[in-house]
Amino acid sequence: MQVVSLRSDAHAESEPLSGRKPASAMIEIDHVSQRFQTSGKQSHLALSDINLTIEDGAFVSILGPSGCGKSTLLYIVGGFVQPTDGVAKVKGKAITGPGPDRGPVFQEFALFPWKNVLGNVMYGMRQQGMKKAEAETRGRKLLEMVGLKGYENFYPKELSGGMKQRVAIARTLAYDPAVLLMDEPFGALDAHTRTRLQNDLLDIWDTQRKTVLFVTHSVEEAVYLSDKVIVMSRSPGSIKEIVDIDLPRPRKRADLLLDARFQKYIVDIEKMIDDGKDHL
Amino acid sequence: MTVRGVLKTLSPLFACIGLLCVWQIASLRLDTESFPTALESIKAIPSILGDKGSLLNILDSIRRMAIGLVLAVMFAIPLGLLMGRIKAVAAFFNPLMMIIYPVPKAALMPIIMLWMGVGDVSKILVIFLGVSLPIIYHAFQGSKAVEEKMLWSGAAMGMSAPMRMLRIVLPAALPEILTGCRTGLVLALITMITSEMIARQSGAGNILFNSLDMAQYDTVFAMILIIGAMGIIFDAAFEKLRLSLVRWSQPRDDMPLSFT
Repeated sequence: MQVVSLRSDAHAESEPLSGRKPASAMIEIDHVSQRFQTSGKQSHLALSDINLTIEDGAFVSILGPSGCGKSTLLYIVGGFVQPTDGVAKVKGKAITGPGPDRGPVFQEFALFPWKNVLGNVMYGMRQQGMKKAEAETRGRKLLEMVGLKGYENFYPKELSGGMKQRVAIARTLAYDPAVLLMDEPFGALDAHTRTRLQNDLLDIWDTQRKTVLFVTHSVEEAVYLSDKVIVMSRSPGSIKEIVDIDLPRPRKRADLLLDARFQKYIVDIEKMIDDGKDHL
Repeated sequence: MTVRGVLKTLSPLFACIGLLCVWQIASLRLDTESFPTALESIKAIPSILGDKGSLLNILDSIRRMAIGLVLAVMFAIPLGLLMGRIKAVAAFFNPLMMIIYPVPKAALMPIIMLWMGVGDVSKILVIFLGVSLPIIYHAFQGSKAVEEKMLWSGAAMGMSAPMRMLRIVLPAALPEILTGCRTGLVLALITMITSEMIARQSGAGNILFNSLDMAQYDTVFAMILIIGAMGIIFDAAFEKLRLSLVRWSQPRDDMPLSFT
């Protein structure tokens, strides 16, 4: 399946010279660099000249060792961090701050602990001015979709990690963002929970076809979920390689684990990361 | 409720009765005029509360305490929250607070009296000063501890910065703020009595010291009992309010859930 077109600088050169962007580009990252001030006069180049285009409806993973700036790149798209150089755009418009067209899901869940499960899911819709009854109906439907029917009145504190992340996903889907920004969303979960949530996320994505930008450090997770995997290296954080994952959908984990193509993607990508000695 | 549960609920009562017993025995043994027995002191309570003048004095004290406390809450919570989220505000107020914090606010009372007289204004001001600092401190800590990602989630929902302050930082910091308010409430009572002992004109502290001057020791001890009871009742009532407001931050008994 070919729903994504991504360009690093190397790829861009081979394209015809024209100012026209692809019609369905959802996210465009144009010469983005990010420099952080560290102690004293030192500064650290977290991202160096990133160029990337992500098309509408694509599931794209950003993969790399810790410290390669993959989360920073996601935060720039979210509008939470302003890039030092370059510009990031969503639907052709420069990103100046966070907005409801880009919904984040964090590893830390970041639920509102004073609101119960339903209250959390309704929160964004209410902020958008949706009527209470309408928001409640939609909230209940979303909770059913993420498998939390019956837990509407529980507080975040009473939920397991996996359940919290389900609430967080429902809370973000509730205000219907065009782009889902997922920052190692399953990184804090145990292996079993992680697999279940990956499968459920794929089911949701199959029905909603949102553009997903998914940050992870698990090669297997990236290959399993994505249309494209962006492999990053660090010092400075840059795009090392972009790998198209040409595996049929809907994907079944049991089938893929036995699939030689799936295995080869994993081995190839792991090699790319090893070549850069980024594992050190 | 189990026997153990009943005992646990009643334990403050037992502590109370125990203290009164010790007092009674000590007083009987020492047998001095300036140390009445617990029973004599308790007997003196109805005559104080039955006297219209004394009662009005005590209500006056409570009124001043309430005004000082409410003003402090209205001032300290927004300031503390802003300090926790805006570095410049914290940089300005933190050193100021460090200097003011250890100074006993009652020590300022003579100066304040000199400038503003011995009336309500001085006393309310001292209560306000005494109560503000712990509430500012706790609001600051609570606000500082709010998870960045929670605010980002709010921003992605389209909430403006003032909106996030009101609808995310405030509720998220509420448990910490209410801890500060509880300390503030007890401090308000302490500063209230102290201010009335210094600026003796009216109030519960004034009754206490007047009876001491007139060697009415049973009234002195009865007043101590009344003021102590006020403290206990206020604190218990506030604790009840606090628990109802931040139930979400208290772990529930039927934990834990295991389901992914």
